[in-house]
Amino acid sequence: MLAYDFMQRALLAALLIGLTAPAVGTFIVQRRLALLGDGIGHIALTGVALGLVTSTSPLLGAIVVSVLGAICIELLRTRGHTGGDVALALLFYGGLAGGVLVTNFAPGGSTSSLLSYLFGSISSVSAEDLLVIAVLVAAVLAFLVLFGRELFVLCQDEEVARASGVRVNLLSMMLAVTAALTIVVAMRVVGLLLVSALMVVPVAAAQQLTRGFRATGLLAMLFGMLSAVGGLAGSYQFSTGGVNISPGPAIVVVALAVFVLTTAGGFLLRRRHTPLPAGPVRSGGGTPSEETP
Amino acid sequence: METMMDAVFELHGGHVRLGGREVLDGIDLRIRAGEVVALLGPNGSGKSTLVRALLGLVPLSSGRRLVFGSERFRDWARIGYVPQRLSVGGGVPATVREVVSSGRIARQSRFRPTSRADREAVRRAMESLGIDHLAGQSVSHLSGGQQQRVLIARALAGEPEVLVMDEPLAGVDAENQRALAETLTLLVGEGKTIVLVLHELGPLEPLITHSVVLEDGRIVHRGAAPEPSGECAKPGHDHVHPHAEPEPVSLWRALVGRTGRH
Repeated sequence: MLAYDFMQRALLAALLIGLTAPAVGTFIVQRRLALLGDGIGHIALTGVALGLVTSTSPLLGAIVVSVLGAICIELLRTRGHTGGDVALALLFYGGLAGGVLVTNFAPGGSTSSLLSYLFGSISSVSAEDLLVIAVLVAAVLAFLVLFGRELFVLCQDEEVARASGVRVNLLSMMLAVTAALTIVVAMRVVGLLLVSALMVVPVAAAQQLTRGFRATGLLAMLFGMLSAVGGLAGSYQFSTGGVNISPGPAIVVVALAVFVLTTAGGFLLRRRHTPLPAGPVRSGGGTPSEETP
Repeated sequence: METMMDAVFELHGGHVRLGGREVLDGIDLRIRAGEVVALLGPNGSGKSTLVRALLGLVPLSSGRRLVFGSERFRDWARIGYVPQRLSVGGGVPATVREVVSSGRIARQSRFRPTSRADREAVRRAMESLGIDHLAGQSVSHLSGGQQQRVLIARALAGEPEVLVMDEPLAGVDAENQRALAETLTLLVGEGKTIVLVLHELGPLEPLITHSVVLEDGRIVHRGAAPEPSGECAKPGHDHVHPHAEPEPVSLWRALVGRTGRH
């Protein structure tokens, strides 16, 4: 399958995204913002539609609108009186409805042009797309490497982060923008509707087997790459004349399969180990500890 | 400026308004280096808000706050904050070493990798709290008492001059409360300033050099020595003294013995 140029590009794109999405996802999941990716994904759709209507680049439109959307979510979450989940829900609906409505005004006017963005079209990744993907991936990874320690403190406890001099609001905003960029990058591979799965599922799979944050992040990146390549190869191998398997959903299904396997593995692993001699994890008020003599 | 040279925290006419309610109503407070101060009061008296105001975690609606004599304090490495409990967050696991290491953040630079000094400070902090053997464990699998030691170790890893602790006795059994008292005794011996939000003095009583009692956002009593009897006699005071029933030898006690401290 590597004989074809388009498959080489697809494979590279899949690897880059399989690596990056779970890396960002580890911090997003720790901040309990697992659905942030979905929210931004929906907003990005409006950006794609704007790109189609103005006959400019849908990718550029998606970048601009999703970054603005991420900033809005963050502001609503921290400043507004709207709860985080409601803020996300509002943007879900607005993004999806906006995307479809705006596309109606595009030359051709059919919403079918949105389909490749909703479910991905990795086999149509051009050399130019690949370059954009590589640059964005480099930027995202550089951010995570440089700010990783501060992000860890922020994701553990916001007050402690503040009391340690971490610029909490700025960093939260930067994390949201990074998530937005990751989503736009991953849009080509798995599509906007499934984009969040690559940020969340490998992390969920990894944390079944790990004890530490760094280990979880690294293992999630490995699982992400395995899922992306596995799903892509699977869709290529099993697509026959009659059946055409979409790579995006195939990647997500492989990621979910990894999750099922690690959950079972983690369960067996924990059963073999004797638990720590530990008292109550969170005693309500002066409960005597259950430590064994 | 009436600022004292050795004052760590100063609040002049501090007011804090949260959700339209006056939570702190004109607080004047000065905490000097080397003091061990207990902020006492019933639930809702504003003692937790006071400590958060001192740290700058809640904005003052009026009044002045100075930390180490500065209104624009930035040198956060000098202060270690120990929250009431570990926030487990979204469930991504973290090891004891990772959490304790994160206490170095105020001393680290973004462009510099973890240094030998960082690792050394983390090791010392874990050892002094008797949790070095748990370094590779996931913090969420530890007991409440062990988690508290992780939080204190995280603050100590930053090698602060001041330790600020929010309700360190809440939800901690008698055995671990005594262990905490021993740890704090050592820190006081090292000359650290300690600010504690407390519901009750418990086994920490002999350590306290100053106590401040709050009620309805105002300071109603301050003294060199604590007056637990008066405080406890107040209506509305939740009486939750731990009762030292005979208990099996705890892991902590065994550890303290193991690291050669008693």
